[in-house]
Amino acid sequence: MAGLCRVVSGLQYRVRLSSRFLRSSFSSDSGPAEGPVSGFAAAFDQQEVLRRETQSSAAGPKASSSGPELSFAALLRRSPLIQMGPAKDAVVVGRVFRVVRDDLYIDFGGKFHCVCQRPAGADGLQPGSRVRLRLQDMELTARFLGASTDTTLLEAQAVLLGPKEAGSGGEHHQND
Amino acid sequence: IDVLTFVSYLGLLGFRYSRAATVASPCGGHHYVTAPSVKPPQPQADDVTEKILNQPLEKPDFFRVAELFSLKDLFDARVHLGHKKGCRHRLMEPYLYGCRLDHDIIDLDQTMEHLQLALNFTAHIAYRGGIILFVSRRRQFGHLVETTAKDCGEYAHTRYWQGGLLTNANIQYGPGVRLPDLIIFLSTLNNVFQQHVGIRDAAKMNIPTVGVVDSNCNPSLVTYPVPGNDDTPAAVELYCRLFKMTINRAKDRRKQMELLHGLSAPTSQTSRYALK
Repeated sequence: MAGLCRVVSGLQYRVRLSSRFLRSSFSSDSGPAEGPVSGFAAAFDQQEVLRRETQSSAAGPKASSSGPELSFAALLRRSPLIQMGPAKDAVVVGRVFRVVRDDLYIDFGGKFHCVCQRPAGADGLQPGSRVRLRLQDMELTARFLGASTDTTLLEAQAVLLGPKEAGSGGEHHQND
Repeated sequence: IDVLTFVSYLGLLGFRYSRAATVASPCGGHHYVTAPSVKPPQPQADDVTEKILNQPLEKPDFFRVAELFSLKDLFDARVHLGHKKGCRHRLMEPYLYGCRLDHDIIDLDQTMEHLQLALNFTAHIAYRGGIILFVSRRRQFGHLVETTAKDCGEYAHTRYWQGGLLTNANIQYGPGVRLPDLIIFLSTLNNVFQQHVGIRDAAKMNIPTVGVVDSNCNPSLVTYPVPGNDDTPAAVELYCRLFKMTINRAKDRRKQMELLHGLSAPTSQTSRYALK
């Protein structure tokens, strides 16, 4: 468990480092590890990704994120879900996949979908339309008295902000 | 039914005598609820049939199931997403990569290996004409599982599981019922988050199981557990597609081998893969 905690904190640390790397140019940027990295696992992972980036940039001017050589650790680190951080009050774009009278079932790329009430006057929201959401929780769970595990509702909770206007692309897009 | 018994005995003699079977069964490989009324016939070693049955056993991945999926496919289908930390089952901890902000992440490297083993096993069972049963009690995916089973010519059970379905089949369905040779669970939990009764019953009846185990499931009784997400439609569609492709590939391969080795087209249509 301690090892897992270290990796997790290393992940969070690396999120900040990776954003800096991504913004800088993709040329061979084998700079030294900035600041103390916690745990050998974190350092090793970081060096592995750096080595891959140097190799891919030497091979061709293409982003390596679409290549099949990426490890699970690298894929996870770059995934929008991890980069988003805590789910509380994160604005995401979702897609309505089912409408039952006034309930919209919206999938935003997480494990579960969320169910929102259709706001008054928004009859244009059909299955397939994209909407903006403010997430509250990725999975609604609670531990009740006398239970050994949490009870899960198999749903996420989000507040519907409105339909996504075409052209406004500033928020996080989940892989959907 | 007696003809079926006889022909299937012929068919699986090679299986029984060639190597230690993963499926231990007293009745020559098939799971019959009643003891056979006739003595098993003398082993008529049909060389061609033995060759057909033994050839896939020589290579570790004869059906090349590893080509059917990649890590990126699993990742895009959100197979790595687990439940929250509070829902975690203690026995799933070896399969987890870690926990991020209270959400469990399943280790996809391990999932790749387990999925490959499971698909390989499914392919071998389908090659030998085994009956495969798809089970899932998730109402959201019931129709998908049923259409998958229909598309690969196998069976599905997505409704209420009666208590004696496997263990009391003799009485519930009549004597001499053939039980499935493999049960594939697309979700190992039932609707009240308890383990599906079929897992325990299959273990009692010596039927191997393949099961997709999420981070809140118990993987201990499942023969080939596949740690992965079982809640997202994308993930379940991926599993259904993979199993369907594997089974169809294995069955086509079997037909190809039979044609290659000069076996005539099946005349007696009573068994699945009729032999000479």
